[in-house]
Amino acid sequence: MARVKLTDVKKVYGKDTVAVSDFNLDIADKEFIVFVGPSGCGKSTTLRMIAGLEEISGGTVEIDGVVVNDLQPRDRDIAMVFQNYALYPHLTVFENMAFSLRLKKIPQKIVYEKVTQAAEILGITEYLTRKPRALSGGQRQRVAIGRAMVRDSKIFLMDEPLSNLDAKLRNQMRAEIILLRQKINTTFIYVTHDQTEAMTLGDRIVIMKDGFIQQVGTPTEVFEMPVNVFVAEFIGAPKMNIFKTDLVLENGKYYVTPFGAKIQITGKKGEMLKEKGVESRKILLGVRPEHFILSNEHDKKAIPCKISVNEMMGSELHIHGVEPDGESIVVRIPTITLEDDRRKTLTMGNTIYVTFESKVMHLFDDDTERNILL
Amino acid sequence: MMQKRLGAKASRRLGNTVIYLILVVMTVVWLFPFFGILLESFRVESPMQQGYLIPKKFGFDNYIKLFNETDFPKWFLNTGFMGVATAFLQTFFILSMSYTLSRLRFRGRKLLMNFMLILGMFPGFLTMILIYKVFHDIGLTMSRAPLGLIIVYSASSAMGYYVSKGFFDTIPKSLDEAARVDGATRWQVFYKVIMPLSKPIIIYTVLMGFMAPWGEFMLSSYLIHENSDGMSVAVGMYEWLSRTNMNTHYTMFCSAGVVVAIPVTTVFLLLQRYYVEGVTGGAVKG
Repeated sequence: MARVKLTDVKKVYGKDTVAVSDFNLDIADKEFIVFVGPSGCGKSTTLRMIAGLEEISGGTVEIDGVVVNDLQPRDRDIAMVFQNYALYPHLTVFENMAFSLRLKKIPQKIVYEKVTQAAEILGITEYLTRKPRALSGGQRQRVAIGRAMVRDSKIFLMDEPLSNLDAKLRNQMRAEIILLRQKINTTFIYVTHDQTEAMTLGDRIVIMKDGFIQQVGTPTEVFEMPVNVFVAEFIGAPKMNIFKTDLVLENGKYYVTPFGAKIQITGKKGEMLKEKGVESRKILLGVRPEHFILSNEHDKKAIPCKISVNEMMGSELHIHGVEPDGESIVVRIPTITLEDDRRKTLTMGNTIYVTFESKVMHLFDDDTERNILL
Repeated sequence: MMQKRLGAKASRRLGNTVIYLILVVMTVVWLFPFFGILLESFRVESPMQQGYLIPKKFGFDNYIKLFNETDFPKWFLNTGFMGVATAFLQTFFILSMSYTLSRLRFRGRKLLMNFMLILGMFPGFLTMILIYKVFHDIGLTMSRAPLGLIIVYSASSAMGYYVSKGFFDTIPKSLDEAARVDGATRWQVFYKVIMPLSKPIIIYTVLMGFMAPWGEFMLSSYLIHENSDGMSVAVGMYEWLSRTNMNTHYTMFCSAGVVVAIPVTTVFLLLQRYYVEGVTGGAVKG
């Protein structure tokens, strides 16, 4: 239960290997913040700086208004779950969870209460007498979470806690973390490279790349209004299609012209362009795979696309196609609304026509790759 | 096809036979001296070397004489004391040093490691004269030589950090980090988490420290300087040989050898059951 404030936080290894720069973030009390980004983007380093496991090269980290830069991890009142669980192999599950309480010399009765209570919540009561080596990956992860839970600490840090689990267990644990969050109601900082985890868990998501924050926002914000091509491609799976094309201003109306199609930008996006006084120019056009609509060859707004791979995912089809210009395109089509006749035409080598509406398109500067509507 | 396979089997069997024969011969050659000493130590009929190995009459006479008529008990205690003290100090030094080198990052760490490695390559006796001079001046020679020797044995021991550092390196760092976040100081991390996981290496270090004084001769003979009160078994027994006619108590000499082997073997047998494999199992990721 604490506010965490990071101001101009920087991490430099050795002389000039910069891992994190200009990290500014204000985390509210009881907020669930997710740091997400590809490996090497500095997300774990930032978390470890908050934990006190990594020295802070510049800037300040505050917890509840107190600068903690020079405090040892044990004095920061934080709990942390590690990617590899880091359970003490020589101790039983009970003692693993009680470790921090024992260090604080808390009376045995309270230790017992807290540990059994946490074990109950996590469903690991029957394993309390076991050693970590006799547990499965999922159970170990629960013990690691339990060890952090009994601390009742101000901040709960999680460093890729699910990445060592198999896909099915990961989904299950993800749901459990959401439930857990409601039960222990504290400030969470969660690191992951998985955009699904970020989207489903976070109140706000911090997207990082090469040590810099790219965007901070709610899942909806980063999904609907990505600040740049990197964020646009990182959030959402399969990733957003990006095409080089033209933005055309004609008689006060804006159009995009991907691959010969001509699609008018109407509604809010059109107004925003007008407000900003954007001229005709080259742009990068982004469209998410799920935002394409199947059309036909007579549609002037349709892009022809030759199917190269057709992946049947069950509830939807992922079609990998090739544009006339040779660029590839990914289209997601829900199978439930797909008529059988149509479906038969979606085979390799066939050409389909797809289009999209102006509200789902994203416009980026062709040079800086920044969203031109922001 | 079948024939070929049989041929392969036969040649493998032949190969194994040859290998085992060589191993058996080596074992006999290796163990012969030990059995020889053991048998000689129980010989009652003559204190001298005989033309045969197996005693005509078995008995504990040599052992009784060893403990009643010589200074051997004193030497034995001296050495035992040195062994225990060295084991204790050396373990403390080596473990602290190797844990520090394994976990903490500080300026000059690599330099220090290389420096110690190179320094350790110089033979120890190069410093013997200097050590003697210093210890003589502060009175740690002759009857007080065991104290001096303990200092020498333990002082440089931290240079033998490689084995235990290598072991500590295999314990995941995230365990230290988890403990530190859980509220442990560096020292608590070391003795509550790392030490219990390091049993094999602690035992190895203890054994090495305990065994050193039993076999070390050069430096101790120098510091002890023919003073029976401060002698270790190695020096004491050598003095025997040089002062008296070996033939008159050869069998007793053998019994002393057997007695010396007892503590080392006992300590090893007591500790070796802690060599549990896979102590770190289940620590991290399954």
